[in-house]
Amino acid sequence: MSEVEDDRTARRRARRYSRGVALDWFFFIFAGLASVWLAYLSFTESFRIGWWGLLAAILFWALLAYLVLPRLHRILTTIYVPEYFIGRARTSDGLLGDPVNLALNGEAEQIHTALREAHWTKADPVTLASSWRIIASTLSRRSYHEAPVSPLFLFGRQQDFAYQQEVDGNPAQRHHVRFWRCPDEWMLPGGIRVDWLAAGTFDTSVGLSLFTLQVTHKIDADTDIERNHIIATMTAADPRITVTVVRDFSTGYHARNGGGDSIRTDGDLPIVDVRRVVGMSPPLPTHSAEAT
Amino acid sequence: MTENKRPAYEPAARLLERTHYDPHMHRPVATMAGSALVLLRVVAGVFHLIALALQWPELVDASDTVVDGESLGPAATSLGLVLVFVIGIVALAVEALLALLIYRGLNWPRVVVMGFAVVSISISFGAWWVQDQEITINTTFVTLALDILVLLALSSRDAAAYARRSEGR
Repeated sequence: MSEVEDDRTARRRARRYSRGVALDWFFFIFAGLASVWLAYLSFTESFRIGWWGLLAAILFWALLAYLVLPRLHRILTTIYVPEYFIGRARTSDGLLGDPVNLALNGEAEQIHTALREAHWTKADPVTLASSWRIIASTLSRRSYHEAPVSPLFLFGRQQDFAYQQEVDGNPAQRHHVRFWRCPDEWMLPGGIRVDWLAAGTFDTSVGLSLFTLQVTHKIDADTDIERNHIIATMTAADPRITVTVVRDFSTGYHARNGGGDSIRTDGDLPIVDVRRVVGMSPPLPTHSAEAT
Repeated sequence: MTENKRPAYEPAARLLERTHYDPHMHRPVATMAGSALVLLRVVAGVFHLIALALQWPELVDASDTVVDGESLGPAATSLGLVLVFVIGIVALAVEALLALLIYRGLNWPRVVVMGFAVVSISISFGAWWVQDQEITINTTFVTLALDILVLLALSSRDAAAYARRSEGR
């Protein structure tokens, strides 16, 4: 490589921003505006073509709910929702999601062991295969204990892993909790260091999201019940797990989640200490890869 | 005691930060959908060409091309048909190739296809807004919808991160 080229790559690296990313943003926003126009066109077209208009109306809803509104939310929330910790996870569209209502200390392995012993099931990651399995199990009415949960974001990252408990005989209802590893050297507001944050909520039924009009799970407004359920099952399964509580940590987060459901909480943040749990024994090396 | 502390601070330039370096990233659904939609666009183009070939004699009769006072004979007409076909097939082949390269995760074909989509959408919008040109199912609605869906899929963050997964290191 010549010196001139070396110099050029070095300068490109020194620049904090990227022109390519700026171009991506142009396309991102242009596509958002164009999709609004497309939604308008399909809306007016659905009146024009008689009975086929019914089909066009369904297409219009799908377009609006799954492409147009998410893109608009993504653009707007990038501007107005802060990226730093505000006690709430965010949906992939950038909207406020489930409240963070649990903190943990310990290694990933220890959390996995503690939850497994408390009869929680690890959720599969969202892939084409697992999505297909959801459809297949819904149609055949078989249960899918490891069904994936939707991605929620904290610290700009998707959850590291999620656990769930099915409610017998009801595919619309389930307990679930998502876990994020905190960045190194990060402290909770108030100055407490924890290793993990988690958001546990209970799906009550299937409904339409208020903000994106998508089909989604509605969650129980009283998020404290689910939080206490998680702690109760963990401490019952392993007496070495201890819990301390930060009182009124999130009092004042009386709001809605990303699906537009309202949330009620007493604001307490329990910190679950699993550091005395003995993690999975080493013969299963594949599990240690999940810890990162 | 000086401890390292992580502040909650976000400069505006952060929006333009490079995507994550992750060469082993899984191909996201957006990239697959994007390249599939580009292929659908190619299929739509093939149908256009076939329709054009079937209507060609009528089109020539209707326009009755006259050059230097002489009506063009059947030889020139079929030559024109071949020319249009060759150009059309080459363009569609290039587009299909771009779809394949996008699927493989290259960035420049993604940018090229999005650039063409922006131009095409802008022209349609201009004609619709200024000249009141109708956009219905029977005319250009399907191709316009495909262009916009291609742009939506390929400009999504997943698709961008995948196409740029080897950059930044």
